Amino acid sequence: MTAPWHVTEALATRYARGAAPEPDAWSLERHVETCTACASRVSAAVAATPAGPALAHVRSALLAAVRPEEVSPEAVRHQAVSPQPVRPHVVSPQAEPVPVPVPVPVGAVPAGAVAARRRRPTGTPGPRLARMVWAAGPALRGAWLVAVLVVVAAAVGLAHGAGFQGVRPVLLAVAPVLPLGGVAVSYGRHADPMYEIGVATPSGGLRLLLTRAAAVLGVCVPLLTAAGALLPPVTGVPGAAAWLLPGLALTLATLVLGSFVGCRAAAATLTGGWLLAVAGPVLGRPGATGELARYLSGPAAQGGWAAAVVLCGCLLALRRRSFDRLETS
Amino acid sequence: MTPPNPAPATGTAAPARTTVSVTGLTVRHRRTVALDALDLTLGPGVHGLLGPNGAGKTSLIRVLATVAAPSRGRVELLGRDAGAHRERSEIRRRLGYLPQEFGYYPGFTVREFVAYVAWLKEMPAELAPAAVERAVERVGLADRIDAGMKTLSGGMVRRAGIAQAIVNEPELILLDEPTAGLDPEQRVEFRALLREVGATATVVVSTHLVEDVAAACSEVTLIESGRVAFRGTTGELTALGEVSHAADGSANAIEHGYTAALRGHRAAASAVTDSSPKDTP
Repeated sequence: MTAPWHVTEALATRYARGAAPEPDAWSLERHVETCTACASRVSAAVAATPAGPALAHVRSALLAAVRPEEVSPEAVRHQAVSPQPVRPHVVSPQAEPVPVPVPVPVGAVPAGAVAARRRRPTGTPGPRLARMVWAAGPALRGAWLVAVLVVVAAAVGLAHGAGFQGVRPVLLAVAPVLPLGGVAVSYGRHADPMYEIGVATPSGGLRLLLTRAAAVLGVCVPLLTAAGALLPPVTGVPGAAAWLLPGLALTLATLVLGSFVGCRAAAATLTGGWLLAVAGPVLGRPGATGELARYLSGPAAQGGWAAAVVLCGCLLALRRRSFDRLETS
Repeated sequence: MTPPNPAPATGTAAPARTTVSVTGLTVRHRRTVALDALDLTLGPGVHGLLGPNGAGKTSLIRVLATVAAPSRGRVELLGRDAGAHRERSEIRRRLGYLPQEFGYYPGFTVREFVAYVAWLKEMPAELAPAAVERAVERVGLADRIDAGMKTLSGGMVRRAGIAQAIVNEPELILLDEPTAGLDPEQRVEFRALLREVGATATVVVSTHLVEDVAAACSEVTLIESGRVAFRGTTGELTALGEVSHAADGSANAIEHGYTAALRGHRAAASAVTDSSPKDTP
């Protein structure tokens, strides 16, 4: 990159004193990696600071370790101004080959900011958690999360408070499509107010969608399974975890279908289809709740759902590019 | 901060690099043709994208922002092919984009809004916080950085939008109607920011305000019905206006240039196609 921007004397001096604002310091540090003139300017500025002699000393020690021949103070002085970025603690690939890692007194660095900044812990849990919540995006902040919590609370409340026995099949019949709503409000022009900005970034597209879908499942799976386990068991109704594979298959199917028609339409279609084809008939007729087992329990049903998961996963992999730039109309 | 003097900067920027190269770009929205076999090359500097409403400015910006796919044609950005999946990610890392209309999550503060975009642009986590503050400061929102986005006025929201576009120090910046909603004073400040950013980066500003172009842009591209109607420096467009409106108020010269160029293009277009000759003024 041949940036027409160059380090001014004033900036070099401020940097050497450690007084340059951080962004300027970064620009400078990046720039001197490729610009010889600026690198020597910055070197000179650093050598002129009180820490200059200390740096020169470190340098001569370093050179003495590398080259056996005598290095005169004059040469050291000259070397300090040589075109090489002053980065005492980082040996970059461009730097001269230094076979022995010589311990460098970091305290001698004038722009102590350099070292301190780099040593700042980068993976602290705080920012990482915040970033995950950001990535999870709109679904976990919005009405969908409330809806899921209401469903769970209502199910547990009805079962234990009112002693209503039919809650468990209802919850199981509805649980597989609850994540779909979350996916619908997670991604797409209609659901995500920052969609237009997001798609122009490297993280937009499928990666963001998958992160958000995972966040949706991450909330749904423990909540709904725990709620199911808390409900009094009903004979003939599948266990609390029976909805997991269907839920996952339907979520992936939403993403696949969403790659053609958008997530909102895909989620609406599949939710509608599930409610009409499975949940409706099973819950509509009294005494038919046992039929739920036909869809959810047993090796045959679960095996079928597992196959659907694999199939949808493969289809999604095939369609991964379509989220990258959806608009072709 | 320490804005490099633009004059020597552009002077030293050796043989003008081409950062945007578009050939035969056609964009269709259902039946209507938004861009019609458009060719365009741009280098570093501030480029004004002028044209009447519906001329295809937004369509062009969205293609350049890698948001919309062209129906036909080749788009090369920052030396990479925007049509190739892998290269697109690299382009997007070095891109800044302010859409004409954009939203935000209601709970966000200005800082969170800009930081979120910095995260989307895969900025290193340790660099992001300072970059966010700097971007917000450059658009003059430093005193409102921890205010909720919801509490901001329309002009402030737009400035926050500009901050998210420049947070990653992009090499290609696409701004769709950035001055909409700004008051005159903010507009002046914004133009100064444009010139500063344009010293190193390629900035494409779509606007229908001719005076934005006159004040901030070094080059102008005038688009009409999906084609380039005029391409040149701001001075050349002004000169065009002075020819057609001899000895008129000089402040309006560029506007006259705009109309003259537009009229010339329409006349040429109607001469080529066999449309009715009534089109002339």
